[in-house]
Amino acid sequence: MNVVITPAMVGQVVISGLLAGALYSMVALGLALIFGVMRVINIAHGTILMLGAYTTFWSFQLLGVNPYLSLLVSMPLMFLLGVLLQRAFVRRVVDAPELSSLLLTFGISIALVNMAQLAFTSDLRSVEFLTGAFLLGPFAFSKSRVVSFAFAVFLTLFAFWFLQKTRLGKAIRATSQSREVAMVCGINVQRIHLYSFGIASALAGAGGSLVAVMVAIQPEMGQVYTFKSFLVIVLGGAGNYPGALLGGMLLGLVEQLSSLFLTTQVSEAVAYVLLVLVLLLRPTGLFGGRST
Amino acid sequence: MKRGFVAALVVAFVGLALYPTVATGYGIRFMLQLFMWVALAQSWNLISGLTGYVSFGHVAFFGTGAYAAGILVTTHGWHWGPASLVGGVAAVTLALIIGYPCLRLKGPYFAISMLGLNEVMRVLVSYFEGLTGGGSGLSFPAQPVSVQIYYAMALSALAVTGAAYFIITSRFGLRFMTIREDEVAAEAMGIDTARYKLYAFLLSAFVPGVVGGLSARDTGYIEPISVFPLIITITMIVMALFGGKGTIWGPVLGAATLFVFQELVWARFIYLHQFLFGAIIVVVVLLMPRGILGILQQRYHLPRTI
Repeated sequence: MNVVITPAMVGQVVISGLLAGALYSMVALGLALIFGVMRVINIAHGTILMLGAYTTFWSFQLLGVNPYLSLLVSMPLMFLLGVLLQRAFVRRVVDAPELSSLLLTFGISIALVNMAQLAFTSDLRSVEFLTGAFLLGPFAFSKSRVVSFAFAVFLTLFAFWFLQKTRLGKAIRATSQSREVAMVCGINVQRIHLYSFGIASALAGAGGSLVAVMVAIQPEMGQVYTFKSFLVIVLGGAGNYPGALLGGMLLGLVEQLSSLFLTTQVSEAVAYVLLVLVLLLRPTGLFGGRST
Repeated sequence: MKRGFVAALVVAFVGLALYPTVATGYGIRFMLQLFMWVALAQSWNLISGLTGYVSFGHVAFFGTGAYAAGILVTTHGWHWGPASLVGGVAAVTLALIIGYPCLRLKGPYFAISMLGLNEVMRVLVSYFEGLTGGGSGLSFPAQPVSVQIYYAMALSALAVTGAAYFIITSRFGLRFMTIREDEVAAEAMGIDTARYKLYAFLLSAFVPGVVGGLSARDTGYIEPISVFPLIITITMIVMALFGGKGTIWGPVLGAATLFVFQELVWARFIYLHQFLFGAIIVVVVLLMPRGILGILQQRYHLPRTI
């Protein structure tokens, strides 16, 4: 492969990387929230994203709802689903060894994927909205990606503001720092777990709605996002919420850059090597923070 | 009791050894897959049941073995037997490369890194098309060898269960279980934990590699998504868990029960297959995390390791 790499190409992939990275950040923030608060690795996170994408697809297909407006449907729906899952299943494994939560959420995940296959078939679906790109100097910006990026940034910053400033957000952060101390301070930890899982699922659902306009929708689309979210929270440091934001951007960049210099397929392997290195050398994440 | 158990084992051995002389083609393939699952669940048990390090990507060893054997058989004309053994060696090599750094990771981080390993192996196998046939896979020359594979699978299952027996009842195995119960205490007692974790990991990787090669020969065709799916890892974990992890007979019992159940019941509900499996996982994790043997041990005060 002897392709000459020009600065413009590098600029282009940096742009694509950041556009993709913001979405990764938002979705991974949800996973980081669940892990931070409960020490549970939620394998069903990508599955919830898939359900969010279908929500957008069907509301667009059947009712003609603007895909970005359908965030108002998918986010509350996925919040409720998350609360339900937490209430019915996940709360029973919060203090169990990691094997229990991994298996449990995997079981939930394949059951939901199977339901989606039965209900929606495995056909590839897409939402034809905002196709095309606009040019700015030498760079092309896909319209749908730019708009999705903007929404992802807005929602992530909103979630962040919520965690930093509101009472509930502070209670969530307190619980993820130390459950016992939070309890002593009068925080209802069970309820915080419920909210955290709900908020995390809403973020995943939002991710689904935003990727719905860019990629093919099918019941098994979520697994990739689960895996990417793992990468992001490891890069950023598990339980480190600002780290998840930077980690997402970094993953987007690494993926795009390695697909420029190598090929698209290997970019996943590059990301994995990065993951192992970070785990070994900086177990608290690239961006410092408290150890877990 | 103990005598009766040994007698029952002998009868079972003789019965299974003679089975291919009377069985139909379907019967043989059914049993060889059952043996395969016993071997896989028991292998997973060696690392995760004994040391407590959850290998969430054990199928990577299965797939690596399948591809190593597949390449030797299809492009170098090897016999499937030695090729499968080399598959086992390839899996152990991978375990050495990955285990050395990753076994230093604790708890969920080890599980995540193993999950990632499997994803990466699938990507790499698809990428090196010249060697592996890429996405179009490898086809084996047609050979009617089900009966030989039956015995080879049975031997693999027997070997790894025998290994589990000797490890669990020895001082060597006691070190593994000490790591599981309390790694810091194990270190304080002078156990070189890094080394023993690696031993357990290498032991647990060999048979999945061999079985991968055998299964590839039996199926006659492999492709990246067919030998590296996460669901195989999960199935072996659930089987070991269902029977009772960290015990000698638990994985055997769990694999046999769930596999028979799968063949008899799930075949009738093809479209709900995954849903039912998901439901079983949830039930096993929530209601019987110590498995069938765990429940029996609690009720009848049996030793924890049988």
